Amino acid sequence: MAPILRVDRVTKYFAGLAALKEVSFELQPGGICGLIGPNGSGKTTLLSIIAGSLQPTSGAVVFQGRDLTGAKSFRVAQAGIVRTHQIPRPFRALSVLENVAVGISFGRGQRSASKTRDAGRVLELVGIAHLAHAPAARLSVGDQKRLELARALATQPSLLLCDEVCSGLTVSETTSVLRLLREIQKAGTTILYVEHNLKAIMSVSHHVIVINYGQKLAEGTPEAMQNDASVIEAYIGRTAEN
Amino acid sequence: MESTAPLGMTEPGNSAASSRLRFALTVAPFLLLALLAVLPLFDLGPNTIRLLFVTFVWVTVSIAWNILGGFGGQVSFGFAVFYGLGAYATALAINRGVNAFFSLVLAGGVAVLASLLVGVPTFRLKGPHFAIATIGVSEAVRVVMTNLSITGGASGYRIIETGTFHQVKHYFAALALAAVAVAVSAFVRRSRFGLALIAIREDEEAASDLGVDPFRTKLLAHALAALLTGAAGGVYAQYAAYIHPQGVFSFNVGVAILLMPIIGGIGTVWGPVIGGVVYGLIHEELIASFPQLHLLIYGSLLILIVLFEPGGVVGLLDKSYRALTRTRRVSGSHP
Repeated sequence: MAPILRVDRVTKYFAGLAALKEVSFELQPGGICGLIGPNGSGKTTLLSIIAGSLQPTSGAVVFQGRDLTGAKSFRVAQAGIVRTHQIPRPFRALSVLENVAVGISFGRGQRSASKTRDAGRVLELVGIAHLAHAPAARLSVGDQKRLELARALATQPSLLLCDEVCSGLTVSETTSVLRLLREIQKAGTTILYVEHNLKAIMSVSHHVIVINYGQKLAEGTPEAMQNDASVIEAYIGRTAEN
Repeated sequence: MESTAPLGMTEPGNSAASSRLRFALTVAPFLLLALLAVLPLFDLGPNTIRLLFVTFVWVTVSIAWNILGGFGGQVSFGFAVFYGLGAYATALAINRGVNAFFSLVLAGGVAVLASLLVGVPTFRLKGPHFAIATIGVSEAVRVVMTNLSITGGASGYRIIETGTFHQVKHYFAALALAAVAVAVSAFVRRSRFGLALIAIREDEEAASDLGVDPFRTKLLAHALAALLTGAAGGVYAQYAAYIHPQGVFSFNVGVAILLMPIIGGIGTVWGPVIGGVVYGLIHEELIASFPQLHLLIYGSLLILIVLFEPGGVVGLLDKSYRALTRTRRVSGSHP
Protein backbone atom coordinates (compact mmCIF):
# COMPACT_ATOMS: atom_id res chain seq x y z
CA MET A 1 0.00 0.00 0.00
CA ALA A 2 1.21 3.52 -0.80
CA PRO A 3 2.03 5.54 2.31
CA ILE A 4 -0.37 8.39 3.17
CA LEU A 5 2.49 10.48 4.53
CA ARG A 6 6.20 10.45 3.81
CA VAL A 7 8.54 12.50 5.98
CA ASP A 8 11.90 12.64 4.26
CA ARG A 9 15.07 13.72 6.11
CA VAL A 10 13.33 16.61 7.86
CA THR A 11 15.76 18.89 9.66
CA LYS A 12 14.89 21.94 11.71
CA TYR A 13 17.29 24.45 13.22
CA PHE A 14 16.27 27.11 15.72
CA ALA A 15 19.07 29.71 15.57
CA GLY A 16 21.79 27.11 15.13
CA LEU A 17 20.26 24.62 17.55
CA ALA A 18 19.13 21.44 15.82
CA ALA A 19 15.63 20.52 17.00
CA LEU A 20 15.28 17.80 14.36
CA LYS A 21 18.05 16.05 12.46
CA GLU A 22 17.18 14.15 9.29
CA VAL A 23 14.03 12.48 10.57
CA SER A 24 12.44 10.14 8.02
CA PHE A 25 9.45 7.84 8.27
CA GLU A 26 6.40 6.71 6.35
CA LEU A 27 2.82 6.42 7.59
CA GLN A 28 0.52 3.73 6.26
CA PRO A 29 -3.10 4.80 5.87
CA GLY A 30 -5.70 3.67 8.38
CA GLY A 31 -3.95 3.15 11.67
CA ILE A 32 -2.95 5.04 14.77
CA CYS A 33 0.76 5.79 14.86
CA GLY A 34 2.23 6.89 18.16
CA LEU A 35 5.11 9.37 18.19
CA ILE A 36 6.93 9.25 21.51
CA GLY A 37 10.07 10.63 23.02
CA PRO A 38 11.30 12.32 26.18
CA ASN A 39 10.60 16.01 26.86
CA GLY A 40 12.29 18.27 24.34
CA SER A 41 13.00 15.45 21.89
CA GLY A 42 11.30 17.32 19.00
CA LYS A 43 7.89 15.63 18.88
CA THR A 44 5.82 18.81 18.70
CA THR A 45 8.30 20.44 16.32
CA LEU A 46 7.91 17.51 13.95
CA LEU A 47 4.14 17.64 14.20
CA SER A 48 4.17 21.41 13.57
CA ILE A 49 6.29 20.95 10.46
CA ILE A 50 3.90 18.33 9.06
CA ALA A 51 0.95 20.66 9.83
CA GLY A 52 2.61 23.63 8.12
CA SER A 53 2.79 25.67 11.34
CA LEU A 54 6.59 25.60 11.07
CA GLN A 55 8.77 25.42 7.97
CA PRO A 56 11.56 22.83 7.94
CA THR A 57 15.16 23.96 7.41
CA SER A 58 15.54 21.09 4.95
CA GLY A 59 13.81 17.84 4.02
CA ALA A 60 10.41 17.12 2.56
CA VAL A 61 6.85 16.32 3.63
CA VAL A 62 4.84 14.41 1.03
CA PHE A 63 1.16 13.76 1.64
CA GLN A 64 -0.82 11.39 -0.62
CA GLY A 65 1.85 11.84 -3.27
CA ARG A 66 1.65 15.63 -3.05
CA ASP A 67 4.65 17.66 -1.89
CA LEU A 68 3.49 19.86 0.98
CA THR A 69 6.94 20.98 2.12
CA GLY A 70 6.79 24.62 3.14
CA ALA A 71 3.04 24.93 2.48
CA LYS A 72 1.16 27.29 4.81
CA SER A 73 -0.97 25.61 7.47
CA PHE A 74 -4.31 26.57 5.87
CA ARG A 75 -3.23 24.88 2.61
CA VAL A 76 -2.20 21.80 4.55
CA ALA A 77 -5.59 21.76 6.29
CA GLN A 78 -7.38 22.12 2.95
CA ALA A 79 -5.31 19.20 1.61
CA GLY A 80 -6.54 16.99 4.46
CA ILE A 81 -4.03 17.17 7.33
CA VAL A 82 -5.25 18.85 10.49
CA ARG A 83 -3.64 19.25 13.89
CA THR A 84 -4.83 19.76 17.44
CA HIS A 85 -2.91 21.76 20.03
CA GLN A 86 -1.56 20.43 23.30
CA ILE A 87 -3.02 23.46 25.08
CA PRO A 88 -6.48 23.92 23.53
CA ARG A 89 -6.90 27.11 21.52
CA PRO A 90 -10.67 27.62 21.20
CA PHE A 91 -12.11 30.75 19.58
CA ARG A 92 -13.31 32.01 22.94
CA ALA A 93 -15.89 34.55 21.76
CA LEU A 94 -17.61 31.98 19.54
CA SER A 95 -19.99 29.24 20.64
CA VAL A 96 -18.96 25.59 20.52
CA LEU A 97 -21.06 25.15 17.38
CA GLU A 98 -19.48 28.18 15.68
CA ASN A 99 -16.02 26.87 16.54
CA VAL A 100 -16.87 23.65 14.72
CA ALA A 101 -18.42 25.66 11.87
CA VAL A 102 -15.00 27.22 11.19
CA GLY A 103 -13.55 23.76 10.57
CA ILE A 104 -16.51 22.74 8.43
CA SER A 105 -16.49 25.91 6.34
CA PHE A 106 -12.78 26.07 5.60
CA GLY A 107 -11.30 22.58 5.88
CA ARG A 108 -11.09 19.88 3.26
CA GLY A 109 -14.83 19.14 3.45
CA GLN A 110 -15.83 22.77 2.83
CA ARG A 111 -17.69 21.94 -0.36
CA SER A 112 -19.81 19.20 1.20
CA ALA A 113 -23.52 19.78 1.72
CA SER A 114 -25.52 19.58 4.96
CA LYS A 115 -23.14 21.54 7.13
CA THR A 116 -25.36 21.78 10.19
CA ARG A 117 -25.83 18.02 10.20
CA ASP A 118 -22.07 17.54 9.97
CA ALA A 119 -21.54 19.88 12.94
CA GLY A 120 -24.11 18.04 15.03
CA ARG A 121 -22.56 14.69 14.18
CA VAL A 122 -19.04 15.81 15.12
CA LEU A 123 -20.21 17.24 18.45
CA GLU A 124 -22.18 14.04 19.09
CA LEU A 125 -19.10 11.95 18.37
CA VAL A 126 -16.81 13.80 20.78
CA GLY A 127 -19.58 14.01 23.37
CA ILE A 128 -20.19 17.76 23.69
CA ALA A 129 -23.43 18.05 21.71
CA HIS A 130 -25.21 19.32 24.83
CA LEU A 131 -22.78 22.27 24.93
CA ALA A 132 -23.34 23.34 21.29
CA HIS A 133 -24.58 26.83 22.18
CA ALA A 134 -22.28 27.47 25.12
CA PRO A 135 -19.54 30.05 24.62
CA ALA A 136 -16.24 28.22 24.14
CA ALA A 137 -14.66 30.38 26.85
CA ARG A 138 -16.81 28.67 29.49
CA LEU A 139 -15.78 25.07 28.77
CA SER A 140 -13.80 22.97 31.25
CA VAL A 141 -10.31 21.84 30.23
CA GLY A 142 -11.60 18.38 29.36
CA ASP A 143 -14.37 19.80 27.17
CA GLN A 144 -11.91 22.23 25.55
CA LYS A 145 -9.80 19.22 24.56
CA ARG A 146 -12.92 17.63 23.06
CA LEU A 147 -13.74 20.83 21.21
CA GLU A 148 -10.18 20.93 19.88
CA LEU A 149 -10.76 17.43 18.45
CA ALA A 150 -14.27 18.25 17.20
CA ARG A 151 -13.03 21.32 15.33
CA ALA A 152 -10.23 19.32 13.73
CA LEU A 153 -12.58 16.48 12.73
CA ALA A 154 -15.00 19.01 11.24
CA THR A 155 -12.45 19.72 8.50
CA GLN A 156 -12.88 16.08 7.39
CA PRO A 157 -9.18 15.24 7.50
CA SER A 158 -7.52 12.13 6.06
CA LEU A 159 -4.74 12.54 8.59
CA LEU A 160 -5.29 13.80 12.13
CA LEU A 161 -2.29 15.03 14.09
CA CYS A 162 -2.98 14.89 17.84
CA ASP A 163 -0.66 16.70 20.21
CA GLU A 164 -0.95 15.27 23.74
CA VAL A 165 -4.74 15.11 23.80
CA CYS A 166 -4.60 13.45 27.24
CA SER A 167 -2.33 15.84 29.12
CA GLY A 168 -4.12 17.48 32.02
CA LEU A 169 -7.03 15.03 31.91
CA THR A 170 -8.20 12.74 34.70
CA VAL A 171 -7.85 8.95 34.36
CA SER A 172 -11.49 8.47 33.33
CA GLU A 173 -11.33 11.39 30.87
CA THR A 174 -8.16 9.91 29.38
CA THR A 175 -9.87 6.55 28.90
CA SER A 176 -12.79 8.12 27.08
CA VAL A 177 -10.58 10.29 24.85
CA LEU A 178 -8.51 7.22 23.88
CA ARG A 179 -11.74 5.37 23.06
CA LEU A 180 -12.70 8.35 20.92
CA LEU A 181 -9.38 8.21 19.02
CA ARG A 182 -10.04 4.54 18.24
CA GLU A 183 -13.51 5.40 16.94
CA ILE A 184 -12.11 8.15 14.73
CA GLN A 185 -9.51 5.75 13.36
CA LYS A 186 -12.14 3.06 12.70
CA ALA A 187 -14.20 5.63 10.79
CA GLY A 188 -11.30 5.88 8.34
CA THR A 189 -9.03 8.69 9.55
CA THR A 190 -5.32 8.00 9.94
CA ILE A 191 -3.94 9.35 13.22
CA LEU A 192 -0.45 10.47 14.16
CA TYR A 193 -0.53 10.75 17.91
CA VAL A 194 2.15 12.62 19.85
CA GLU A 195 2.10 11.72 23.50
CA HIS A 196 4.32 11.94 26.54
CA ASN A 197 2.18 9.46 28.46
CA LEU A 198 3.64 6.07 27.47
CA LYS A 199 0.81 4.02 28.88
CA ALA A 200 -1.80 5.94 26.90
CA ILE A 201 0.08 5.70 23.64
CA MET A 202 1.02 2.02 23.95
CA SER A 203 -2.64 1.12 24.50
CA VAL A 204 -4.01 2.68 21.30
CA SER A 205 -1.14 2.67 18.77
CA HIS A 206 -0.69 0.13 16.01
CA HIS A 207 2.77 1.42 15.30
CA VAL A 208 5.17 3.52 17.37
CA ILE A 209 7.98 5.86 16.34
CA VAL A 210 10.47 6.90 19.02
CA ILE A 211 12.53 10.05 18.72
CA ASN A 212 15.18 11.44 21.01
CA TYR A 213 17.43 14.52 20.68
CA GLY A 214 15.72 15.32 17.38
CA GLN A 215 16.60 11.99 15.77
CA LYS A 216 14.60 8.87 15.12
CA LEU A 217 15.67 6.26 17.61
CA ALA A 218 13.51 3.30 16.62
CA GLU A 219 10.13 2.31 15.22
CA GLY A 220 7.97 -0.78 15.37
CA THR A 221 5.03 -2.34 17.16
CA PRO A 222 4.21 -1.05 20.67
CA GLU A 223 5.36 -4.37 22.17
CA ALA A 224 8.71 -4.27 20.39
CA MET A 225 9.28 -0.65 21.44
CA GLN A 226 8.51 -1.40 25.09
CA ASN A 227 11.28 -3.97 25.06
CA ASP A 228 13.76 -2.06 22.92
CA ALA A 229 16.93 -1.39 24.92
CA SER A 230 17.63 1.98 23.30
CA VAL A 231 14.08 3.19 24.00
CA ILE A 232 14.25 2.16 27.63
CA GLU A 233 17.57 3.91 27.96
CA ALA A 234 16.25 7.12 26.40
CA TYR A 235 13.29 7.21 28.73
CA ILE A 236 14.63 5.89 32.00
CA GLY A 237 18.38 6.00 31.64
CA ARG A 238 20.94 3.36 32.52
CA THR A 239 19.78 3.15 36.13
CA ALA A 240 16.92 1.02 34.81
CA GLU A 241 19.31 -1.91 35.00
CA ASN A 242 19.37 -1.73 38.79
CA MET B 1 -9.25 40.00 23.56
CA GLU B 2 -12.57 39.00 24.99
CA SER B 3 -15.54 40.51 23.27
CA THR B 4 -19.20 40.44 24.04
CA ALA B 5 -21.55 38.74 21.64
CA PRO B 6 -23.97 41.01 19.83
CA LEU B 7 -27.31 41.70 21.41
CA GLY B 8 -29.68 38.79 21.25
CA MET B 9 -26.96 36.37 20.19
CA THR B 10 -25.49 35.55 23.58
CA GLU B 11 -27.43 32.44 24.42
CA PRO B 12 -30.44 30.73 22.94
CA GLY B 13 -33.22 32.00 25.14
CA ASN B 14 -36.20 29.73 25.55
CA SER B 15 -38.56 32.18 27.22
CA ALA B 16 -41.28 34.03 25.34
CA ALA B 17 -39.80 37.31 26.59
CA SER B 18 -36.49 36.72 24.84
CA SER B 19 -38.12 35.73 21.54
CA ARG B 20 -40.29 38.84 21.74
CA LEU B 21 -37.16 40.88 22.35
CA ARG B 22 -35.47 39.29 19.37
CA PHE B 23 -38.47 40.10 17.19
CA ALA B 24 -38.42 43.70 18.41
CA LEU B 25 -34.70 43.93 17.68
CA THR B 26 -35.26 42.62 14.15
CA VAL B 27 -38.07 45.04 13.37
CA ALA B 28 -36.59 48.11 15.11
CA PRO B 29 -33.94 48.89 12.45
CA PHE B 30 -36.57 48.98 9.69
CA LEU B 31 -38.84 51.24 11.74
CA LEU B 32 -35.91 53.51 12.47
CA LEU B 33 -35.00 53.66 8.78
CA ALA B 34 -38.60 54.49 7.85
CA LEU B 35 -38.70 57.20 10.49
CA LEU B 36 -35.45 58.75 9.29
CA ALA B 37 -36.68 58.60 5.69
CA VAL B 38 -39.79 60.68 6.42
CA LEU B 39 -38.08 63.00 8.90
CA PRO B 40 -37.18 65.71 6.32
CA LEU B 41 -40.94 66.11 5.62
CA PHE B 42 -41.20 67.83 8.97
CA ASP B 43 -39.65 71.24 9.02
CA LEU B 44 -36.66 70.59 11.23
CA GLY B 45 -34.44 73.35 9.98
CA PRO B 46 -31.11 73.07 8.16
CA ASN B 47 -29.06 72.69 11.35
CA THR B 48 -30.79 69.52 12.47
CA ILE B 49 -30.60 68.04 8.97
CA ARG B 50 -26.90 68.90 8.84
CA LEU B 51 -26.31 67.25 12.22
CA LEU B 52 -28.11 64.10 11.09
CA PHE B 53 -26.20 64.11 7.80
CA VAL B 54 -22.85 64.26 9.60
CA THR B 55 -24.00 61.52 11.98
CA PHE B 56 -24.90 59.19 9.08
CA VAL B 57 -21.46 59.72 7.57
CA TRP B 58 -19.76 58.89 10.88
CA VAL B 59 -22.01 55.87 11.41
CA THR B 60 -21.00 54.51 8.00
CA VAL B 61 -17.30 54.96 8.68
CA SER B 62 -17.63 53.49 12.17
CA ILE B 63 -19.33 50.38 10.77
CA ALA B 64 -16.66 50.07 8.10
CA TRP B 65 -13.82 50.20 10.62
CA ASN B 66 -15.56 47.60 12.76
CA ILE B 67 -15.59 45.06 9.90
CA LEU B 68 -11.80 44.94 9.94
CA GLY B 69 -11.09 46.09 13.50
CA GLY B 70 -14.05 44.68 15.40
CA PHE B 71 -14.76 41.39 13.64
CA GLY B 72 -11.22 40.83 12.39
CA GLY B 73 -9.33 42.34 15.33
CA GLN B 74 -6.96 44.33 13.09
CA VAL B 75 -6.63 47.76 14.69
CA SER B 76 -5.96 50.37 12.02
CA PHE B 77 -5.27 54.06 12.64
CA GLY B 78 -5.18 54.64 8.91
CA PHE B 79 -8.81 54.92 7.86
CA ALA B 80 -8.48 58.67 7.22
CA VAL B 81 -6.56 57.60 4.09
CA PHE B 82 -9.68 55.98 2.61
CA TYR B 83 -11.99 58.72 3.83
CA GLY B 84 -9.78 61.45 2.37
CA LEU B 85 -9.08 59.65 -0.91
CA GLY B 86 -12.82 59.05 -1.32
CA ALA B 87 -13.49 62.73 -0.70
CA TYR B 88 -10.83 63.90 -3.15
CA ALA B 89 -11.75 61.33 -5.81
CA THR B 90 -15.37 62.47 -5.69
CA ALA B 91 -14.49 66.17 -5.82
CA LEU B 92 -12.11 65.67 -8.76
CA ALA B 93 -14.66 63.51 -10.61
CA ILE B 94 -17.54 65.94 -10.14
CA ASN B 95 -15.46 68.83 -11.42
CA ARG B 96 -14.84 66.75 -14.53
CA GLY B 97 -18.54 66.27 -15.14
CA VAL B 98 -19.05 62.81 -13.60
CA ASN B 99 -22.50 62.51 -12.00
CA ALA B 100 -22.98 62.32 -8.24
CA PHE B 101 -23.62 58.58 -8.03
CA PHE B 102 -20.73 57.46 -10.22
CA SER B 103 -18.36 59.80 -8.44
CA LEU B 104 -19.18 57.86 -5.24
CA VAL B 105 -18.55 54.55 -6.99
CA LEU B 106 -15.23 55.98 -8.11
CA ALA B 107 -14.48 57.12 -4.55
CA GLY B 108 -15.10 53.60 -3.25
CA GLY B 109 -12.96 52.14 -6.03
CA VAL B 110 -10.01 54.40 -5.33
CA ALA B 111 -10.23 53.57 -1.62
CA VAL B 112 -10.32 49.82 -2.37
CA LEU B 113 -7.22 50.17 -4.52
CA ALA B 114 -5.49 52.06 -1.71
CA SER B 115 -6.55 49.39 0.80
CA LEU B 116 -4.81 46.72 -1.27
CA LEU B 117 -1.65 48.82 -1.62
CA VAL B 118 -1.59 49.40 2.13
CA GLY B 119 -2.78 45.91 3.08
CA VAL B 120 -0.40 43.74 1.06
CA PRO B 121 2.71 44.86 2.97
CA THR B 122 1.13 45.71 6.35
CA PHE B 123 -0.90 42.53 6.86
CA ARG B 124 2.36 40.64 7.08
CA LEU B 125 2.69 42.43 10.43
CA LYS B 126 0.72 41.46 13.50
CA GLY B 127 -0.92 43.25 16.43
CA PRO B 128 0.73 46.52 17.48
CA HIS B 129 3.14 46.37 14.53
CA PHE B 130 0.23 46.53 12.11
CA ALA B 131 -1.36 49.42 14.03
CA ILE B 132 1.88 51.43 13.98
CA ALA B 133 2.40 50.78 10.26
CA THR B 134 -1.06 52.21 9.53
CA ILE B 135 -0.15 55.42 11.40
CA GLY B 136 2.90 55.76 9.18
CA VAL B 137 0.93 55.23 5.98
CA SER B 138 -1.74 57.69 7.08
CA GLU B 139 0.77 60.45 7.89
CA ALA B 140 2.65 59.84 4.63
CA VAL B 141 -0.54 60.22 2.58
CA ARG B 142 -1.47 63.39 4.47
CA VAL B 143 1.93 64.94 3.77
CA VAL B 144 1.73 64.02 0.09
CA MET B 145 -1.76 65.49 -0.23
CA THR B 146 -0.67 68.66 1.58
CA ASN B 147 1.98 69.17 -1.09
CA LEU B 148 0.15 67.93 -4.18
CA SER B 149 -0.37 70.93 -6.46
CA ILE B 150 -3.17 69.57 -8.69
CA THR B 151 -5.49 69.34 -5.70
CA GLY B 152 -4.50 72.70 -4.30
CA GLY B 153 -2.10 71.33 -1.69
CA ALA B 154 -2.65 72.53 1.85
CA SER B 155 -5.17 75.17 0.81
CA GLY B 156 -7.65 72.52 -0.23
CA TYR B 157 -9.88 71.75 -3.18
CA ARG B 158 -13.30 73.13 -4.09
CA ILE B 159 -16.17 71.51 -5.97
CA ILE B 160 -17.53 73.95 -8.51
CA GLU B 161 -21.30 73.90 -7.95
CA THR B 162 -23.32 73.79 -11.16
CA GLY B 163 -26.86 73.22 -9.91
CA THR B 164 -28.75 74.55 -6.93
CA PHE B 165 -27.93 73.12 -3.51
CA HIS B 166 -30.53 70.72 -2.06
CA GLN B 167 -29.62 69.76 1.47
CA VAL B 168 -32.21 66.97 1.58
CA LYS B 169 -30.58 65.23 -1.38
CA HIS B 170 -27.36 64.90 0.59
CA TYR B 171 -29.31 63.79 3.64
CA PHE B 172 -30.81 60.89 1.69
CA ALA B 173 -27.50 59.94 0.11
CA ALA B 174 -25.90 59.68 3.57
CA LEU B 175 -28.88 57.84 5.03
CA ALA B 176 -28.90 55.32 2.17
CA LEU B 177 -25.16 54.70 2.54
CA ALA B 178 -25.47 54.21 6.31
CA ALA B 179 -28.35 51.76 5.76
CA VAL B 180 -26.27 49.81 3.23
CA ALA B 181 -23.39 49.75 5.70
CA VAL B 182 -25.60 48.32 8.47
CA ALA B 183 -26.93 45.66 6.08
CA VAL B 184 -23.40 44.73 4.94
CA SER B 185 -22.18 44.52 8.53
CA ALA B 186 -25.13 42.36 9.64
CA PHE B 187 -24.59 40.10 6.64
CA VAL B 188 -20.85 39.78 7.30
CA ARG B 189 -21.48 38.87 10.95
CA ARG B 190 -23.64 35.92 9.87
CA SER B 191 -21.55 34.84 6.89
CA ARG B 192 -18.73 32.35 6.41
CA PHE B 193 -16.46 35.35 5.79
CA GLY B 194 -17.42 36.88 9.15
CA LEU B 195 -16.78 33.56 10.88
CA ALA B 196 -13.27 33.53 9.41
CA LEU B 197 -12.65 37.11 10.55
CA ILE B 198 -13.72 36.40 14.13
CA ALA B 199 -11.66 33.20 14.17
CA ILE B 200 -8.63 35.23 13.06
CA ARG B 201 -9.26 37.81 15.78
CA GLU B 202 -9.51 35.10 18.42
CA ASP B 203 -6.49 33.05 17.33
CA GLU B 204 -4.94 33.58 13.92
CA GLU B 205 -2.74 30.45 13.99
CA ALA B 206 -5.57 28.20 15.13
CA ALA B 207 -7.79 29.63 12.37
CA SER B 208 -5.11 28.89 9.79
CA ASP B 209 -4.73 25.36 11.16
CA LEU B 210 -8.40 24.78 10.26
CA GLY B 211 -8.03 26.03 6.69
CA VAL B 212 -8.72 29.78 7.00
CA ASP B 213 -6.40 31.91 4.85
CA PRO B 214 -5.68 34.82 7.24
CA PHE B 215 -3.91 37.09 4.75
CA ARG B 216 -6.62 36.87 2.10
CA THR B 217 -9.43 37.25 4.63
CA LYS B 218 -7.87 40.36 6.19
CA LEU B 219 -7.19 41.87 2.79
CA LEU B 220 -10.81 41.34 1.78
CA ALA B 221 -12.12 42.87 5.02
CA HIS B 222 -9.79 45.83 4.54
CA ALA B 223 -11.09 46.33 0.99
CA LEU B 224 -14.74 46.11 2.05
CA ALA B 225 -14.13 48.58 4.88
CA ALA B 226 -12.28 50.91 2.49
CA LEU B 227 -15.13 50.75 -0.03
CA LEU B 228 -17.64 52.00 2.56
CA THR B 229 -15.23 54.55 4.05
CA GLY B 230 -14.30 55.95 0.62
CA ALA B 231 -17.95 56.30 -0.34
CA ALA B 232 -18.64 58.05 2.98
CA GLY B 233 -15.78 60.47 2.26
CA GLY B 234 -17.37 61.08 -1.15
CA VAL B 235 -20.80 61.79 0.32
CA TYR B 236 -19.20 64.24 2.73
CA ALA B 237 -17.22 65.99 -0.04
CA GLN B 238 -20.35 66.46 -2.16
CA TYR B 239 -22.06 68.13 0.78
CA ALA B 240 -19.16 70.23 2.03
CA ALA B 241 -18.04 71.16 -1.51
CA TYR B 242 -14.71 72.18 -0.03
CA ILE B 243 -12.15 69.77 1.39
CA HIS B 244 -8.59 70.15 2.61
CA PRO B 245 -5.93 67.65 3.74
CA GLN B 246 -5.94 68.81 7.37
CA GLY B 247 -9.69 68.19 7.44
CA VAL B 248 -10.09 64.78 5.80
CA PHE B 249 -6.61 63.23 6.09
CA SER B 250 -5.68 64.35 9.61
CA PHE B 251 -4.57 61.89 12.26
CA ASN B 252 -7.52 63.07 14.36
CA VAL B 253 -9.91 61.70 11.75
CA GLY B 254 -8.15 58.33 11.81
CA VAL B 255 -8.37 58.20 15.59
CA ALA B 256 -12.00 59.37 15.65
CA ILE B 257 -12.96 56.58 13.23
CA LEU B 258 -11.43 53.99 15.55
CA LEU B 259 -12.94 55.46 18.72
CA MET B 260 -16.56 55.30 17.55
CA PRO B 261 -16.89 51.50 17.42
CA ILE B 262 -14.95 51.19 20.69
CA ILE B 263 -17.40 53.49 22.43
CA GLY B 264 -20.42 51.76 20.95
CA GLY B 265 -19.26 48.17 21.31
CA ILE B 266 -16.46 46.66 19.25
CA GLY B 267 -17.10 43.49 17.24
CA THR B 268 -20.89 43.83 17.28
CA VAL B 269 -23.32 44.90 14.54
CA TRP B 270 -25.03 47.71 16.49
CA GLY B 271 -22.16 48.94 18.62
CA PRO B 272 -20.52 50.94 15.81
CA VAL B 273 -23.90 52.44 14.90
CA ILE B 274 -24.42 53.64 18.47
CA GLY B 275 -20.81 54.82 18.62
CA GLY B 276 -21.26 56.76 15.39
CA VAL B 277 -24.41 58.41 16.70
CA VAL B 278 -22.76 59.28 20.03
CA TYR B 279 -19.75 60.71 18.23
CA GLY B 280 -21.75 62.50 15.54
CA LEU B 281 -24.17 64.18 17.91
CA ILE B 282 -22.00 64.78 20.98
CA HIS B 283 -18.85 65.66 19.07
CA GLU B 284 -20.62 68.31 17.00
CA GLU B 285 -22.15 69.78 20.15
CA LEU B 286 -18.86 69.64 22.04
CA ILE B 287 -17.00 71.36 19.21
CA ALA B 288 -19.59 74.11 19.23
CA SER B 289 -19.65 74.58 23.01
CA PHE B 290 -16.05 73.73 23.98
CA PRO B 291 -13.86 74.30 20.92
CA GLN B 292 -10.65 73.94 22.95
CA LEU B 293 -11.77 71.17 25.24
CA HIS B 294 -13.76 68.77 23.08
CA LEU B 295 -10.91 66.32 22.54
CA LEU B 296 -10.14 66.26 26.26
CA ILE B 297 -13.76 65.52 27.14
CA TYR B 298 -13.96 62.90 24.43
CA GLY B 299 -10.69 61.31 25.56
CA SER B 300 -11.88 61.12 29.17
CA LEU B 301 -15.08 59.46 28.02
CA LEU B 302 -13.02 56.91 26.14
CA ILE B 303 -10.81 56.13 29.16
CA LEU B 304 -13.89 55.58 31.29
CA ILE B 305 -15.34 53.17 28.72
CA VAL B 306 -12.15 51.18 28.30
CA LEU B 307 -11.70 50.95 32.08
CA PHE B 308 -15.24 50.10 33.11
CA GLU B 309 -17.01 48.61 30.12
CA PRO B 310 -14.77 47.25 27.36
CA GLY B 311 -17.92 46.04 25.60
CA GLY B 312 -18.97 49.66 25.03
CA VAL B 313 -22.56 50.85 25.08
CA VAL B 314 -23.79 47.53 23.65
CA GLY B 315 -21.94 45.62 26.38
CA LEU B 316 -23.57 47.84 28.98
CA LEU B 317 -27.04 47.29 27.49
CA ASP B 318 -26.44 43.55 27.27
CA LYS B 319 -25.42 43.39 30.94
CA SER B 320 -28.36 45.49 32.11
CA TYR B 321 -30.78 43.35 30.13
CA ARG B 322 -29.39 40.19 31.64
CA ALA B 323 -29.42 41.65 35.15
CA LEU B 324 -33.02 42.71 34.59
CA THR B 325 -34.22 39.30 33.38
CA ARG B 326 -32.33 37.60 36.20
CA THR B 327 -34.12 39.71 38.84
CA ARG B 328 -37.42 38.97 37.20
CA ARG B 329 -36.74 35.25 37.17
CA VAL B 330 -35.68 35.26 40.81
CA SER B 331 -38.70 37.24 41.94
CA GLY B 332 -40.92 35.00 39.80
CA SER B 333 -39.77 31.86 41.58
CA HIS B 334 -40.76 33.29 44.95
CA PRO B 335 -44.34 34.49 44.52
